[in-house]
Amino acid sequence: MGKQRSILALIFVLVIAAITILVRVPTQLGLDLRGGAQLTLQVLTTEEVPEINARVLEAVQRVVEGRVNALGVSESLVQTTGQDQLIIQLPGVNDPAQAERVLGGTAQLEFRSQRPGTEDQFPIEFQILRTLEAQQAELRASGDEQALQENQAEIERRNQAILELFEPVGLTGSNLNDAFAQPLPAGNNWNIIIRFDAQGGDRFAELTKNLAGTGRSIGIFLDDRIISAPIVGVEFAETGIVGGSASITGNFTTQEASDLAVQLRGGALPVPVEVIENRTVGATLGRDSIQRSIYAGLGGLVLVLIFMVVYYRLPGAIADLALTIYALFTLALFNLLGVTLTLPGIAGFILSIGMAVDANVLIFERTREELRTGKSLYRSVEAGFFRAFSSILDGNVTTIIACAALFWLGSGLVRGFALTLGLGVAVSMFTALTCSRTLMLFVLTIPALRKPEWFCPNLPPTAKAATR
Amino acid sequence: MKLQIIKQRSLWWAISGAVVLAGILSMLISVSRPDIRAPLRPGLDFIGGTRLQLERDCTQPGNCDEPIDVAQVRNIMAEQGLAGSSIQVLGEERQALSIRTRDLNTEERTSLQAALTESLGAFDPQRTQIDTVGPTLGRQLFIEGMLALLVAFAGITIYLTFRFQLDYAFFAFVALFHDVFVTLGIFSILGLVIGLEVDSLFIVALLTIIGFSVNDTVVIYDRVREVLQLNPGEHINDAVNDAVNQTLSRSINTTLTTLLPLVAIFFLGGETLKYFALALIIGFIAGSYSSIFVASSLLAWWRERTGKAILAEAVTAESADEPESGT
Repeated sequence: MGKQRSILALIFVLVIAAITILVRVPTQLGLDLRGGAQLTLQVLTTEEVPEINARVLEAVQRVVEGRVNALGVSESLVQTTGQDQLIIQLPGVNDPAQAERVLGGTAQLEFRSQRPGTEDQFPIEFQILRTLEAQQAELRASGDEQALQENQAEIERRNQAILELFEPVGLTGSNLNDAFAQPLPAGNNWNIIIRFDAQGGDRFAELTKNLAGTGRSIGIFLDDRIISAPIVGVEFAETGIVGGSASITGNFTTQEASDLAVQLRGGALPVPVEVIENRTVGATLGRDSIQRSIYAGLGGLVLVLIFMVVYYRLPGAIADLALTIYALFTLALFNLLGVTLTLPGIAGFILSIGMAVDANVLIFERTREELRTGKSLYRSVEAGFFRAFSSILDGNVTTIIACAALFWLGSGLVRGFALTLGLGVAVSMFTALTCSRTLMLFVLTIPALRKPEWFCPNLPPTAKAATR
Repeated sequence: MKLQIIKQRSLWWAISGAVVLAGILSMLISVSRPDIRAPLRPGLDFIGGTRLQLERDCTQPGNCDEPIDVAQVRNIMAEQGLAGSSIQVLGEERQALSIRTRDLNTEERTSLQAALTESLGAFDPQRTQIDTVGPTLGRQLFIEGMLALLVAFAGITIYLTFRFQLDYAFFAFVALFHDVFVTLGIFSILGLVIGLEVDSLFIVALLTIIGFSVNDTVVIYDRVREVLQLNPGEHINDAVNDAVNQTLSRSINTTLTTLLPLVAIFFLGGETLKYFALALIIGFIAGSYSSIFVASSLLAWWRERTGKAILAEAVTAESADEPESGT
């Protein structure tokens, strides 16, 4: 019996661990449960960009991420899906119209020339903007929605003001051929190399010639927001910067430089995107839906637990304990793996409980059969587990095959369901064969509980005599 | 109580046949109907469109004095060039509105919402639900779902062929098909009668039904195999009869315990899961029925027909062309 004691101890430790995880690690709820908007963007091809490859998709993703951050939503998520789609999750957003407008357009890169007479004003505005942006990052971490939005509004105003300090010169992202990050020879600084097409090269030469040595800067704007404001050295006053290529220098780290390059490439690529899916659930609606379904599901489960005890007696009670442990383990695993719980996900979980019950039912029915043939309690229980195993295995493997098909080929809600059901079935194999078994065998070591009628009511008297 | 699976097999087959036939009939009617043009009434997920669910904000005074007037909503929709959309007023107080229309872009939807707010009063954004699916994504979801179904079918059949034998696997497959068809048929009928639409959750439900149905069939087949191993000379009809009866209380109990939470969700749960639960309830009942009455009796019928009714005599001939069952 020493082996069972150690397994019992292991189960006990795991239960404590599961409870700790459930308390410490928050459950991730899907947007359908906590409210919010989920948008799917289709990246479209154009004549210039006939094919969407990973590089294009990454560039679009980066631009979209920038725009999502500008919306001031905390915990937002931008993911690529398939070859040419993006999924954007905006928790807590009730009006997706704004989000759709901001996300739907093409990223617009524009080079502008600083207006004469704004030399003193611009550095001050630029400094204020940078400070606000730094605050925004802090606020986003703190999660204060109201302050976040107020600060965002202020940033928008400053950006607009800065935009007015520059005049357009007709040099936009459509004139860019490429942009990439490059390390500077000295120090840890990086810069960004940009390449223009022929027309862009000429305009850039013109722009730099006009600005060289004046102290005024080139304004590089992405979606009307300033991302860089380099100054042209006096040595270019004669001809401007020629050759159709330029470098943007600043105190860029590796990450910043490559981010900016990607943003520029994205801005440079006139790939339109289209909102092809929008699912928005109001926060209260989501909460109502989750509560009603969870209460209903729990109510049904309580009935199942009662049924097990009434029908299967002592083994039924043990199965109930094992099922509770099963539920704890599975939920803890969801939290640990960061599984996002959606409504279908909850359905998958409830079904996996059904499968877990089935394993126990199979075992107990077998045990009863063995008891009826007159075997001893201990041997009947052992045989019950042994002989039910192949049925449990086959049944669960076929379910896992269905889950795998759903997971690989499905998307969104379908995947959530497949994952929760699959994980649940896997854990139920473990708890049915380990927890139920160990608990049963442990109970049999207690003489007061070794009564056959507690395992199988209406046992024929002959068989009953034999089990003693 | 002892069920006579084999003796009354024509009855069991007739019941299954009638239900499946009714479903096929309903699907044919649905295909010919101009407003459906598919075997089942496809929902937003598969054909694209916009569904707008709005509820009046009753915390504002005077906002919820009267129920929402459908005729008024219909007029607004017509003004927006969206005549022919389906409009439903929901809720006990008739304060909620569900509109289903072609897929709207941001501007169209915003202007529709503004027009509705103007004449019906303010809506509570916390209780608003918006679903817009473009037609391309709809097709994509449908193809993904069908592919997942086919792969699951194939995977399960291959697994069962390895674990049992080809004829077991084939009839388990027939039972599967039966369960899926019964569910499809009943949902097709519901589509005709109460206008129920199927969405991507319905495909999820079908896949779950497959998993559950096979589970049930496998348990009975497992027992048939065991009975045959213990009594090699027994006639397949008797072996199947015994196996089904020995596993009967397990079949009933498992179906019952799985159905309890589902029935609770159907009657008491949130709107989203209601018909998902219903699909599972129908599929699981069909699954238990087909495992007990159809898959087993078909297997016995086939073995009898192919002269393999008594295993002991057939063992030598069988091992030549078919893989032996694993033990």
